Order: sequence, then structure tokens, then C-alpha cells
Amino acid sequence: MISIESVSHDIGTSRIFSNLSFCVNKNEKLLILGKSGLGKTSLFRLILGFEQPGSGKIVVNGRNLDKDHIHQIRQQLFYLSQDIDLKNEIILGLVTDIWEFNFARELYQEEINRQLSFLELSPGILQKRTGELSGGERQRIGLLIGFLLDRPIWLLDEPTSALDDAMKKKIANHILALDKTLVIISHDQCWQDSSAVRIERWS
Amino acid sequence: MTSVGRTVQPLESKGGPNMGAQDLNIFSLGSLLIFLIPILYISRYLKLGINKEIIIGMVRMCLQLSFVGLYLEFLFKFDSPWLNGAYLLLMISIACHSILKSSNLKLRIFFKPLFFALLIPFGIMLLFFNGVVAHIDNLFEAKYLVPVGGMLLGNCLRSIIIGLTHFYSGLKKNEREYLYSLSLFNNRTQALKPWFKESLVAAINPTLASMATIGLVSLPGMMTGQILGGSIPIVAIKYQIAIMGCIFYTEYFSVILSILFSLKTGFNAFDVLKTNIFQNN
Repeated sequence: MISIESVSHDIGTSRIFSNLSFCVNKNEKLLILGKSGLGKTSLFRLILGFEQPGSGKIVVNGRNLDKDHIHQIRQQLFYLSQDIDLKNEIILGLVTDIWEFNFARELYQEEINRQLSFLELSPGILQKRTGELSGGERQRIGLLIGFLLDRPIWLLDEPTSALDDAMKKKIANHILALDKTLVIISHDQCWQDSSAVRIERWS
Repeated sequence: MTSVGRTVQPLESKGGPNMGAQDLNIFSLGSLLIFLIPILYISRYLKLGINKEIIIGMVRMCLQLSFVGLYLEFLFKFDSPWLNGAYLLLMISIACHSILKSSNLKLRIFFKPLFFALLIPFGIMLLFFNGVVAHIDNLFEAKYLVPVGGMLLGNCLRSIIIGLTHFYSGLKKNEREYLYSLSLFNNRTQALKPWFKESLVAAINPTLASMATIGLVSLPGMMTGQILGGSIPIVAIKYQIAIMGCIFYTEYFSVILSILFSLKTGFNAFDVLKTNIFQNN
């Protein structure tokens, strides 16, 4: 679970948020709605330790977010960034490296094929470079990595924005049914439709 | 060309092919200034605006080299291993200063890691050359230590600058990719691997390219100096091959170490690149 306690954060001279407090319980699905520029992405950056809050405390699964616990905390988090900032490499190599480093064993073809077929991607995509993909394909590769890593807490920043309606629904339904703690930023209706989701509106 | 620890012959000696290069008369040397005249004239005619820099550059070069020459005369005559070693440490410090300035990295933050990143491979290679390759008895003999050391350092400068610049500027430019990688691998070393590999390759490519064409286009400086000094070509070539190898090895290891040693001071406790490490943002 994630606990944000009285967190204030500035970027340069602008105050992004002040005295923000909320909680996401284990296996809860939280959807954050709000216009862009309100600091929703910054929130994720704070949880991941990429930036430090001006004041306040963040606690993830009972551990304070500080330099002593940052690695244990990051191990629990899967982050899908808005632009899917993957390095421009051949996808098979990229995915295999990520898998083998995290799990210290070989990635079997069946595991990756299963995910590819669910995400409606052709196996040929594995030979392409990240930079050659369309927006929707990149998002699905990002999600594929998430499915493979299978970490307990997911931070998803606009995970379905480039997908068609049918795919949006399919993915949202699948992800919301997972036994995981989710924090989602999205403007897509498919996330709001589910009763499993708790909505927070930022303004 | 082994020496047994005796001091070097003064450069004025005339005589046979192994007694050192012929001395240059100061007026003969000064005659080269004649070519500055058309250069300064053409530059002024074309309104290049660099005449001041040309004159300052030439004067500085003459003064610096003269000063170094006087200093080295003293160093060679005295030939104390401690003094020679201290001079090398000074050379490394100046090299670090120059590298960090060209790489746009802050001196205060990176000087110490870079100093050791240079000292270790450089020291090992230099002593190895002196002891194992050239078989001299006094490993710290000025006649070998200073010129060979200078060549190793001078050639490493360029590759380390390329390596560090490529690494840190690349990371700064692609920070989001690095951070995303960090979130997926949860390991700074693993996340940095692509940038590290690219920087190392970029750093040693120029040396590989010059090794491919060496001798075909021009004779390397060391060989020229040796031959002018009286060595026969075959001896000069052996030294040149040895030195090229040593330069490449020193470059390779010092680029790796300079990036590795700099990581501790370049990144914060959350594995994020510090923003205040550049001289000019």
C-alpha cells in the first residue's frame, strides 16, 4: 500500500502540490482524474524516488521512501510512463534483458507469445526496434513488460491513450481484475466504467 | 637503447649517429617566424579577426615549452625518483583539469575520482613499459618516465574527454530513458550499461582509426624524434609499436575507470543523475 502524507512539491519556482495526503490500500484500484499539468505525473516521479518532495512523507508497503529503502520499494513498483521511454533497441533483446536481469533465468518463447497474443501483437514485432513502433504498439509493449515483471504495485500513466476502443476495454478489464495495487492516470472512459475503481479527481 | 642509470648527455654534443640530435641555433629556429608574416597578412586581409589569437598562441607555446625544457633539464640532471614521481603526479593533475574543463564537468566534484582513474592504469602501464618492455634498471629514470608518461597521458586526454562527455551529456539529454530503465531494472549499473558501452566505443574509436592508418600517412612523432636523435629505424619502430600498444591499453582502462569512479559522485543516493555536476548547464 502507498501512503502519501502531507506532501508538498515544487518544480523550480512553481508549487506543484501542497499538503497532499491520501492512501492507496493493498489491491485497491485508484484512478486519478484531472486536467494535465496538475502534477499527476510528478506524483509518480516522487513515488519512484526520481525526485524528492519539498516536505512530507511517502510510505510504500510499510517502508519510508528514503535512500535506505528505495531499492526495496522500486522492486515492488511497475511504472508505465506516458511516453513509454524505452531505449531504441530491438524489442526481443530489450525484453529478454529485462526478464533475465529480474528473474535470473531464461525467458521462454511461450511466456512472451502468450502475452503477445493477448495484446494482439504479431510475434514479428519482437524483431523491430522500439523507435519503429506506432504509439499503440509501444504502449502494448510497455504493458507486455509489466505483465512479465508481475510486480505488486502498478503506476500507470495514460496506459491506454493510443489504443482503439476495443483494446482499451479489453486491457482495462484485464488489468483491473489483477490482484495488484493500481494507481492509474487516464482520461479514458474504460477505466471509469468499472465498479472496482476508486476515483479521485484533482483540480 | 637501454641505459644503466647514468645521466643523459647534454644536447650540445656533436659526433656520431648515437650521440643525440643536432642542436638548433636560436637564429635558425627564429627563421621560422618568417612564415608568420604572410599568415598574419592574409588573416588581416580576409578580416578573420584571429591575429591576436595566433600571436598569443605562438608566444604561449614558445614560453610554455621553454619553461618545460628548462625544468626538464633540471629534472633529468637531478634524476631523483621522488621528484620525477612528483612531476608525474603534477602532470596527471593538469590532465584532470583539462579533461574536466573540456567535458564540461565540475572540477570540485570529479577531480579525485578522475585522478585515480588516470593514476592506476597510467602508473601500471608506465612502470610496465619501463621495467618489462624497455628493461631499464631504474624504473623512475627521468629520461624514460617523463617522455613516455607524457605520451601516454597526452593521448589518453582525448579519449577520456570523449568518454565522459558522451556519457554524462548523453544521460542528461536522455534522462527519461535512463530513469525508465532504472525503474525496470532497479539497478543503476544495469540501467547505465547502454550509455557506458556507447561512451567506451566512442572514446576508443579515434585511436582504433589512427592505429589502422599509422605509418601509412605520416610517421608518428615519437619515431620522428627518435630517428632525428640518432636511432636506426628498426629500433624506433619497436618503440613506436610498444608505445602505441601502451597508449591503447591505458586509454581503454582509463576511460572505463574514469566513468566507473565518477558514478559515486555523479549520481545521488536515489541513483538519479545530479543536476549540479556540469560547469555550464
